Amino acid sequence: MAEPLLAMKEVGHSFGGLSVLRSVTFEVPEGGIIGLIGPNGSGKTTLFNIVSGYIRPLAGTVLYRGSVLGRDSIQQRGLQGLVRTFQTPQVFEQMTVLENVMVGCTKLTRTTMLQDLLRTPAARGQMREIRERAEAACERFRLGALRDLPAASLTAGQRRILEIARAVVGEPRLLLLDEPSSGLNVQEIDDLRDWIVRLNEEGITVLLVSHDMGLMTVARTVHTLYFGEIIASGDMAAIQRDPRVREVYLGV
Amino acid sequence: MNPRILLWLAVGLVVWAVIPFVVPRYIADLLVFTGIYTVAGLGIGLLLGHCGIVNLAQATFYGLGAYASAYCTVMMGLPSVVGFLVGAVISMALAYVIGRPILRLTGYFLALGTLALSAIASALFFEWDWLTGGTLGIGGIPKLDLFGFLLDRPSRYYFFVWIVAFACMAVARNLVDSRTGLMLRAMRDSSTAAAALSIDLQALRTKVFVVCALFGSLAGSLFAHHASFVSTQSFTVDRSISFLLIPVIGGATSIPGIVVGALFVTFLPELLSKLGDIHQILFGLALVAVVVLMPEGLVGAFGKLRARLAKRGGGNG
Repeated sequence: MAEPLLAMKEVGHSFGGLSVLRSVTFEVPEGGIIGLIGPNGSGKTTLFNIVSGYIRPLAGTVLYRGSVLGRDSIQQRGLQGLVRTFQTPQVFEQMTVLENVMVGCTKLTRTTMLQDLLRTPAARGQMREIRERAEAACERFRLGALRDLPAASLTAGQRRILEIARAVVGEPRLLLLDEPSSGLNVQEIDDLRDWIVRLNEEGITVLLVSHDMGLMTVARTVHTLYFGEIIASGDMAAIQRDPRVREVYLGV
Repeated sequence: MNPRILLWLAVGLVVWAVIPFVVPRYIADLLVFTGIYTVAGLGIGLLLGHCGIVNLAQATFYGLGAYASAYCTVMMGLPSVVGFLVGAVISMALAYVIGRPILRLTGYFLALGTLALSAIASALFFEWDWLTGGTLGIGGIPKLDLFGFLLDRPSRYYFFVWIVAFACMAVARNLVDSRTGLMLRAMRDSSTAAAALSIDLQALRTKVFVVCALFGSLAGSLFAHHASFVSTQSFTVDRSISFLLIPVIGGATSIPGIVVGALFVTFLPELLSKLGDIHQILFGLALVAVVVLMPEGLVGAFGKLRARLAKRGGGNG
């Protein structure tokens, strides 16, 4: 069997003695869409923060492409192709839509401060490349008409798409989406689902956290977290039939 | 470039070139200081407007530049360019060494950290009199000599200082428009999201702090060659505060705003001092008025006013 892109091995974490994750083990195969569901407080976001490097787990290991993500910083993980979005979209509000996407491209190029201060041909060339990539991404994600507006003026749905565009333009291998459907209307959730499928077909592996059952149908495997433990795994249909999931999560 | 802008630019250039010959000497002198303060203020503006960092330590680097120029030229008899370079190197090295630990702080704590740096440096400038001359200072700093052309009058030094200031403005503009500038603004708007996009916040903040120190040092060296005499009282915490006022008053994200802010802090106290003892209170009131009524600075307020007028004009026409 091929090596998984991401593997969680007996990951545990607690806040002030309150255990939020207990020995969580699962894998994200390369090219897959893996979902994580669970009620509020089940540990989904903590798990996400551990994978993306905002929190260091107290127990267990996280393997990315076969090597341990120990002390790697958020930035180093990003450079290795691991990019996340946030439950509340974090756009750069005072910057335009295009500039937001351009920020997503900055990690693909390197200029030194001195080159930027003196505006050398190399710095200008890289800036042109960043702009071209970002413009193409704006068109692709249908943000073209909005590109010169400040991101603060966008609706929740537009912010979500902008956040995804900004992450995707940096060529991630693993895209971590944290509650991407929160605050969106039905139409926007449909669009979001299409985007996830399309990006996955282009080779981006997706780890999706949500409690939106409708959106979760895009995931091939869904893990259900409940009080820091995985209580069921399988495709969405199997999850919805699982008696324990029905009991603790759907409340029936 | 569109011809109207070109015309304005030409008019501005002519006015700029004629001013020192038609105004009294003390105005020319104040304009030299405006240029020097613009250089120092640019660094603070980059930190404040593009990184959201309050730097209350600029007088430290201003002092380092001034003392380096004074010591190298007066005590060691070296050419003035050496003073400029030594000041720049020491300031940048100090900014790097101190910046790495204190730039981990954020908000008020960082502002207080820089304030402490300024207070310590000001005490050291006073204590280390073998180097700085203490309160007696170092006098007899030579005027700059540009290929045989002695910049010995304000009207002459004016051109040199302002050419340096314009060059610094161009460099600051380059930075703002560059990839680094993008990352800076991203960090200012959301450091969490900037980190997720692989922006190394710590390294970036340190680099801008170093650039700010370079501008501060350069301004200090320019000051030393203008005043011919440097002493501790020019590099106190008060001076750090007035440097911080420059971008706050002018508009922190605007580069021309720095010039406006520099004009404000050099000219206003001078004009108000004619009114007698009350001038400090009046300056304080003017300052409060700008900060409260125009949170985006004078340039930001002007932009808003123009937008409103354009709207009204459009509505009528």
